[in-house]
Amino acid sequence: MSEVPFKNPGWAGNTGEFDLDEDQVRGDDFVGTRPREGGHPSGAATYPYMLPEKHPDAPLFEGEHKERFDKILTRYPNKQAALLPTLGLAQEVRGHVSPETMDRVAELLELSPAYVRGVTTFYTMYNKRPVGRYLVQVCTNISCNLCGADDVMEAFLRYTDTEIGETSEDGEFTVVEAECLAACGFPTCVQINSRYYENVTPADVPKIIERLKAEGAGGD
Amino acid sequence: MAYPYVSDREVRVLSKYFGDPAQRRLDTYVERGGYQALKKAFEIGQDAVIDEVKTSGLRGRGGAGFPAGVKWSFMPKQPTKPHYLLCNADESEPGTFKDRELMRWDPHQLIEGILIASYAIRAKHAYIYCRGEFFEATQVLAKAVEDAYAKGYAGADIMGSGNDIDITVHVGAGAYICGEETGLMNSLEGRRGQPRVKPPFPAAVGAFGMPSTVNNVETLSAVPHIITHGGQWYRQWGTEKSPGTKLFCVSGHVNKPGNYELPLGFPLTELIEDVCGGMRDGKALKAVIPGGSSVPLLNAEECGRCNLDYEGVQAVGSMLGCASVIVMDEDTDIVKQVRRMVQFYAHESCGQCTPCREGTAWMTKVLLRIEEGRGTEEDLDTLLEMSRQMTGTTICVLSDSAAAPVVSSIQKFKDEYLALIRRGERVGVA
Repeated sequence: MSEVPFKNPGWAGNTGEFDLDEDQVRGDDFVGTRPREGGHPSGAATYPYMLPEKHPDAPLFEGEHKERFDKILTRYPNKQAALLPTLGLAQEVRGHVSPETMDRVAELLELSPAYVRGVTTFYTMYNKRPVGRYLVQVCTNISCNLCGADDVMEAFLRYTDTEIGETSEDGEFTVVEAECLAACGFPTCVQINSRYYENVTPADVPKIIERLKAEGAGGD
Repeated sequence: MAYPYVSDREVRVLSKYFGDPAQRRLDTYVERGGYQALKKAFEIGQDAVIDEVKTSGLRGRGGAGFPAGVKWSFMPKQPTKPHYLLCNADESEPGTFKDRELMRWDPHQLIEGILIASYAIRAKHAYIYCRGEFFEATQVLAKAVEDAYAKGYAGADIMGSGNDIDITVHVGAGAYICGEETGLMNSLEGRRGQPRVKPPFPAAVGAFGMPSTVNNVETLSAVPHIITHGGQWYRQWGTEKSPGTKLFCVSGHVNKPGNYELPLGFPLTELIEDVCGGMRDGKALKAVIPGGSSVPLLNAEECGRCNLDYEGVQAVGSMLGCASVIVMDEDTDIVKQVRRMVQFYAHESCGQCTPCREGTAWMTKVLLRIEEGRGTEEDLDTLLEMSRQMTGTTICVLSDSAAAPVVSSIQKFKDEYLALIRRGERVGVA
């Protein structure tokens, strides 16, 4: 019955169409706020879609980020509850959450640095150290695994010439193993920064890598 | 672009507009009858809303299957403190991928459900706890929330009814355990997402210490339809005890994996053979996990007599969970897949309870040993004994979930374990 592998329509389901840019993939019908325009204040932190410029020393919580931080505070009954969105906002700016960032967040939210350290390290999405410009998360959990996720993982490591969790020499790629990304019907699912790539096969990997490299060079 | 995951066996109530980007817009949603259920809810009053949902028999779609209307009725009728509605959108159970689709294709359906539920439980603030990885779904949903505010469907004095309900999209940060309702509440409060001891139950002491109700995305998405058409209408599908339709997330070795909305009680064999186009490459079926990785595996014989409703799956010794059907063909290495699942639980254990923290880690090691041909028959007894000690001994059920596939796979696929062990022994001797 199945002739071609199904593609999940929508922004995420762009596998095999890597020459399309974001606008083309999402189409005119996409109505969401684009993360690079600053993200929705209630949604709080989002990684900008293909975040080009992150700087580990970038100023935290200034300008539009200060505005978003202030909005976040209005949405919870206490300051502590703003911790996760605030950490996300910090990571959006700096690319990772360093001990110094954690201390700054602790100060802002009137929490102890130790407490913030404890919470930050509990969650996997906070990068505790810098990662490559593209964080490649390959799902190797059961549904993807049944359909060959291990091979996709291996291909990413081979084409980026890295080990799991290591950043490539040019600082472009960090490849990590992800737990289920909730796209089990479209295996293998790979999340690269904020974007899902679905139905990825080992043959797609070099194309994806090339495209990302080109995007980076193009100053997207 | 049409949504490709369709079958003529489907009853598309919640998933009717999957694949139609126009549905994401507020004006289209309203044109198609949206927000009328909310208006009706305000007219008939809280008690009638709860009764209607009780009549429908709608059961929690997050895995536990607890009747939604009954859950709502636990909330105090005369609020003395703020109430909260928490929408659990932290979809992370391996094999489950329905909530993401519900959020990104039909965000207003969910928002309307949230507003009705908030009204019914007298909550003035609802939080949608979204999984951190769901950037796209979160963006779509957040935009929809903004639109709803702008047009007066959310916020203060909704549609001139005098009811105030705020909605906040809250983004998680990557932790499976935050899908557990008390872990979710802790996480929302800016803590580690470690589950709490129950009682007290959330309806008494929930988020921020206030009475709270946690409902899954799919449960809430069904609510507007039930209010519009009535509880009895919803009962035209499904079984007496499991009424209604359910999104089945089918993954693994089938020709057409995807989300299919079917009446509860649908036979598993027909789901695989008919709806999903049969097994990939014409292979034989070996095993199915019917409800996400936390439930026991079924072998081919059990699959043949399994109907997909809460009771039907229980009758063959597993659970419907969130109806995430993971299909494995004859070539599947069961031991490897079980090890991968247990490894997941070891990674996601929050570390509060010793049986879980230690048990999941040790189980992974023992399973890996067997997989690599260094196991012994004794290891199987060790695994079963560990499973026994990990079941029912911890605050939440993550530990039980890790044990379930281990026990069921040893019971049903012992030969595979033994083959690996024997081969290892032979290689060792040579």
